[in-house]
Amino acid sequence: MAPPLRPNAVAFISPQNHPILIRTFEKGDELKYHYVAHTSLDVIEERTNGPTKSNDCYLGLLYAMDDIATYGYITPLKMKIVLALPLTDSVVRDAEVIMTFKALHLAYYHASSNPFIRLHDTPAGVGSAKWKRFRRKVDEISRAIGGGSVPS
Amino acid sequence: MNSYPAELLVQLAPVMFVAGLDPPPESSTSTSIAPQTLVRTQSPPPAPTKTHDPFASLVARLRDALRSQRKVAIWAPERTRAFQMIIVGKDVRFPPRKLVPIEDPAYASAHSPLSPLTPSSPLYPDGLIAPIWIRKHTALVPSVFVLFLRLFEAPAVHARSPLDPPDPEHERDKTEEERRRDEDLSAEVASRKKTTNERGIKLTVVLLATRRMLDDPSLDSRLTFIRRQSGLDSRAALFVLSPVSTSELNDFARSLQDALYEPALEYYISHSKRVRRKRNRHSQSVSSYNPPPLVSMGAASTRPLRPEGWTVRYEYKMACFAEFRGEDEVALKHYQDAYATLMIMFGSTAILPPRTKRWAEAKVLADAMNVKITKLYLYNHEHSLALSHHNSHMRRFADFSRGWGIGEETFEYWSWMARQHRVLAELLEQGSNSSLTFPTNSPSSLTASVTSSGTPVELDAVRAFGLNPSHALQHPGHYYYMAARCTEARRERFLANEGISQGTSAAPGYVNEKKVDHLTLILELYTKSYELFKKHSSTTSQGRLTLWIAYRIAHTYYKSEKFDVAIRFFERIAKTYRREKWKHILRPLLSAWYACAQKLGDVELMATLLVEMIGYAQDVDESRTLQEDLLAILKSSVPVSTGKPLVINLKESDPLLDTMLVFWTPEVRVGEAAGFQLSLATPTNMDLSALPIDTVTVTFSDGYYPVVLRHSPPTDSQVADRVVRLVKIGQVVPEDEDEEPEEICADLRWGPGERLMVSGSISSEAPGLLTVVSITVVLAQNGWTIEMPHEPCVAHEISTLVPRWLTSLQPIRFLQLRRNDYSSVIVRHRPHELAVSLSHQAPALLDEEYPIVIDITNVDERHLDVVVDVLLQPTEVDQAAQYITFDDQRSSGLIKGIRLGTIAPGVSATKTLYLVGSGAPGDRMLDISVQSTSVEPGSMSKGDDNAEPRSSSSLSEHAAIDSCEKLQTIIIPTSGALTVTYDVAYRRSKNAMPALADLSTIEDDFWDDSHGGVAVVTSRIECSAPCGLVVESLKLHRQDNPLAKVLDCSSDESSDDMFPDEYLPGDEFCNVSRISLGPREEQVLSEEKITGPGDYEVVWRRILPDGGFGRQSTTRFALPTLMILQDELIALLDVPSFARLHVPTPIHLTVRNRHSSRSANVTVTLDLDPSDAFVVAGLRNGRLPILLPGSEEKLSWNLIPIECGHVKIPRIKVMDVRRTVLPSQGVGMPSTEVDVEGEAVKVVDVRADWNTARVESAGDGAVAISQQDGASTILVLP
Repeated sequence: MAPPLRPNAVAFISPQNHPILIRTFEKGDELKYHYVAHTSLDVIEERTNGPTKSNDCYLGLLYAMDDIATYGYITPLKMKIVLALPLTDSVVRDAEVIMTFKALHLAYYHASSNPFIRLHDTPAGVGSAKWKRFRRKVDEISRAIGGGSVPS
Repeated sequence: MNSYPAELLVQLAPVMFVAGLDPPPESSTSTSIAPQTLVRTQSPPPAPTKTHDPFASLVARLRDALRSQRKVAIWAPERTRAFQMIIVGKDVRFPPRKLVPIEDPAYASAHSPLSPLTPSSPLYPDGLIAPIWIRKHTALVPSVFVLFLRLFEAPAVHARSPLDPPDPEHERDKTEEERRRDEDLSAEVASRKKTTNERGIKLTVVLLATRRMLDDPSLDSRLTFIRRQSGLDSRAALFVLSPVSTSELNDFARSLQDALYEPALEYYISHSKRVRRKRNRHSQSVSSYNPPPLVSMGAASTRPLRPEGWTVRYEYKMACFAEFRGEDEVALKHYQDAYATLMIMFGSTAILPPRTKRWAEAKVLADAMNVKITKLYLYNHEHSLALSHHNSHMRRFADFSRGWGIGEETFEYWSWMARQHRVLAELLEQGSNSSLTFPTNSPSSLTASVTSSGTPVELDAVRAFGLNPSHALQHPGHYYYMAARCTEARRERFLANEGISQGTSAAPGYVNEKKVDHLTLILELYTKSYELFKKHSSTTSQGRLTLWIAYRIAHTYYKSEKFDVAIRFFERIAKTYRREKWKHILRPLLSAWYACAQKLGDVELMATLLVEMIGYAQDVDESRTLQEDLLAILKSSVPVSTGKPLVINLKESDPLLDTMLVFWTPEVRVGEAAGFQLSLATPTNMDLSALPIDTVTVTFSDGYYPVVLRHSPPTDSQVADRVVRLVKIGQVVPEDEDEEPEEICADLRWGPGERLMVSGSISSEAPGLLTVVSITVVLAQNGWTIEMPHEPCVAHEISTLVPRWLTSLQPIRFLQLRRNDYSSVIVRHRPHELAVSLSHQAPALLDEEYPIVIDITNVDERHLDVVVDVLLQPTEVDQAAQYITFDDQRSSGLIKGIRLGTIAPGVSATKTLYLVGSGAPGDRMLDISVQSTSVEPGSMSKGDDNAEPRSSSSLSEHAAIDSCEKLQTIIIPTSGALTVTYDVAYRRSKNAMPALADLSTIEDDFWDDSHGGVAVVTSRIECSAPCGLVVESLKLHRQDNPLAKVLDCSSDESSDDMFPDEYLPGDEFCNVSRISLGPREEQVLSEEKITGPGDYEVVWRRILPDGGFGRQSTTRFALPTLMILQDELIALLDVPSFARLHVPTPIHLTVRNRHSSRSANVTVTLDLDPSDAFVVAGLRNGRLPILLPGSEEKLSWNLIPIECGHVKIPRIKVMDVRRTVLPSQGVGMPSTEVDVEGEAVKVVDVRADWNTARVESAGDGAVAISQQDGASTILVLP
């Protein structure tokens, strides 16, 4: 049986390919996941623009490098979500990853529905330090899927 | 891959020895080369020495053709029955099977020289398997031996003549010679056959002969002889080849391999069988296994090979033989078994003590087997199985390594890991050059492959379920990258080790490790990875992955102290990171770049980078530290290029200062001042107070002097309000003013969150867009001048970009502007002052040219060129027609470009526009557009001619033209001037109907109004206009048509004295006309109406309020539509209007049958009452002859009046006795009683025949007919 997903990091990237929020759940390695998110864009673009184009939001495994595997998701409005999972020798079920992505997307959606946010003022938008709720929500999702039975 | 013996990795293929192809001259030297070196070095083909000898060239070409059949490769998934050809000398010898000669009694118990049981073997006593064993089978022992020999051919004898009989003497000699030579050849073959037979190797002989020989009849017998003599097999053992072309040689090589493939397989199968037998015997006796006696001869300390070792050995051999046979699945199975057993051996340090020779050999063997297993999986496109095996291999050995004391903290561990990644990368790279393709791993492609391709079912199930990311095959660049990462870790461990042991470590392999140039290795691996990433990236990608690797390469260069190369990399990478605003990864890059610049001592680059880094600073402390660094550089050095400022372009990266330009209004008029505020601020997390900012130059759009702010330290009173400082610069000076503006002093030091507001105004004499082009911040220190252009309205991420207008300094108050275009102002011309008045006398009358006077007065100061366009809107009223005339142009829609010329200030111009509405009254709508363009008074003299080209040429600079447009819409009510009412009376004709066969009826000018009769039209024309009219004339225009013609009209005679005359509203006049109708029969039947044969034309003028007259207008009224009387059977009574007493007066009764098809049966009765005043002579009661349709009968009576005065004439009753006729048929009321025997026919007195119809207008067809009633009378005079 596959162990629960324990994401290392989650990255939200704007349609203009600017980082919105890169949340790392491991201490001391934040920079690495910035690079991971940035390089993932390459594969995401390849999947969405390439000859084998699909209209699915879920882009599947983007690549595995070092000790992490990255998964990609693109919303209909071209916002990208990248999930970095630790590379373990076990099957990662697509259904679980999709579920996680949907939860993350919903979190972003709720956060950006805040009428006090002006999305175009700053590139980061909801990801900026001002808006804590979004971060909290992302952390909760990560805890929920990673922790499995741990009540929070 | 180079770190492993090639023998253990290459794809095995059946081996064929080819002998007898030695190049003639240096044959002795070339054959002496060892066969195995031939395999690898591929010695160049010997140059053909004697080109004229066809066999020499044939041999040379054969060598090439056979050698090119198969290349030794690690990746070779195709199974094409290809042999590994090895060219050997004729006298090649096989290595001995056993060390002892066969005659020796110990032969039976002796072992192969490579066996661990043989003391002289390198594997003695406990080795597993050595590469030399594979080499033996790939280079020293073939599965098939092909021997090329030359068939003897006697030199051709040129017969003197073809007719000459062959010389018997010569023939006999020749045959004998041949026989002798063939025997020699057979002997040679036989001796070779003996050696090959010993080892079960198939021998095949290829005889080279000329083409002539092939046709020789004696060839068959010779061949049979040779085969028998030499003991060759009957099948595929003897070929004959003549010199042929290269392509045919290739075909020959192909057929040779096809023919010998089966024997080769048999050879390897027999080997497999032998090994399996040995393995089975061994595994059965494993419990009671005793080392052979030979072992006791060795040193006591060494232990013999363990049973597990033997299993590995046998399985490995069987795997190899299966590989030789091309049976990949079998080979995979045996390799896996061997690998599994080897893992058991590694599991125990007792079996394989670490860090021994055998241990190292076994490790190499395990790695090589892993490569083989992975490769075989990949051949079969089982990517995840391949990766799974490779990963588990690495994991297992990582676990073992910890036990062996070479865990993750040692460089050896990382060296081994790097090697594994690299081997996989190289394998994949080789594979991708031929047949291997990489899956995209996208979910859609997975589902597609499930449905389409025939992959095994359980694999699909796993994939549909999910994917193990570590089993997802990626392109080799990833694995090279991993190898590089591992090598980096290896270097780290090595350096750490070196640090501890001070270079005198006793760790095993340390000496070797010291010689390794780690950085070069890392670079090589990264570069390979970079190239592969580039190759495998799609065209759409931005190359971010490659940039990441480039970043690693740059770091490696930095570590290997090649700073200039590293800088080039950094420069390229930073470009993309800046553009995409990935600040978090840009900042470490800048720091590394800065470190490189520091090492190189490039002060300008250092300064540039520091400025950029200050822009990216995260907090106040960081920005202060960076500023100190920058100051230190500026103070301690001088710029490279003195005199020229160093320009640092911050367009793509974060600015130093947040800038915000706000204009108060979006638009101003020419010459009007536009107020603006320019805010220069630091974000709250930055402190720029130490930066030696000398000036800030604000550059506006073209045509203005830049505003220069120069730093001046604040006085004490100003220090209090530092957070927001206001500098007023007043009006920005345009460049055409001679006097250059002075520099303005301001405090140009910014602490965290401080803001400098520059407030001023700008005005323009020309329309256009005004904004700030750039804001240049200039640092000056110690001979350095650093310019940093900023764009208006840029900000750091932390500060929001909201347009705000400073309204008050104390307290500080801002007003937020809600515009999008706050950063620029548009200058426009002032609108033109034109007074436009439209005058007209509403309402307009129909058919009148209605004047509308357009009066335009220029009340502006400019000369204006005025053009008027008029658009007549389509009307919604039915049947309305309309048009306008203006300046000789006439249109029912738009009239464009009526020029009023240039109007000087204070002057007015007038034009009259005429509107003509006809048809129906209603509102008419006009859009009048007055366009004005200001012109210079001087250009007026040139006239209107140059106005056109000027406007077209300056079309592009449309904004620059000072033009204006005024729109006005007027609605003009329109009413009718005259209305007409028609009264129409119809009279039946007294004329007799033409006879049925009257020939004159078919003549052209024949006019028959006997049916239609005459219509009398009385037209009453009323003046309905709200004002008086002068009617000038009335005329009836006759337009006789075949059905109706005007007989006469009252206006024909008496119009002279009637017109002109004034008519006030409500006044009427009358006109009567008579129209004869002559309808055709078909029109009568279809009850058609007859259009009026003409129209009245009334010419009139409007009486203006001032007593004058308007323009002459003409109104036309068409005569009304006329009807045809519908009679069937009718009796017309013609009575004179008066009679004299006692004088006989005739009266006539005409009975007409107008029915189209029915004949009439009519009775006539004259009732003579005793009180009647007449004496009647004539028919009293009688029956008329049958009246056919269209015929009539006339009856006459003579009346003799016997009384005076108005007397009634006797009553005449006409009865239609046809029973079928319904009683109430006919039009109107019957004038006689209804008789039971028939229906009364209407008797019409023609004197009083007056069917009237009132027609309101020409088009109205409604008709009401009234019929006179009562008996006719006659006036009798005395």
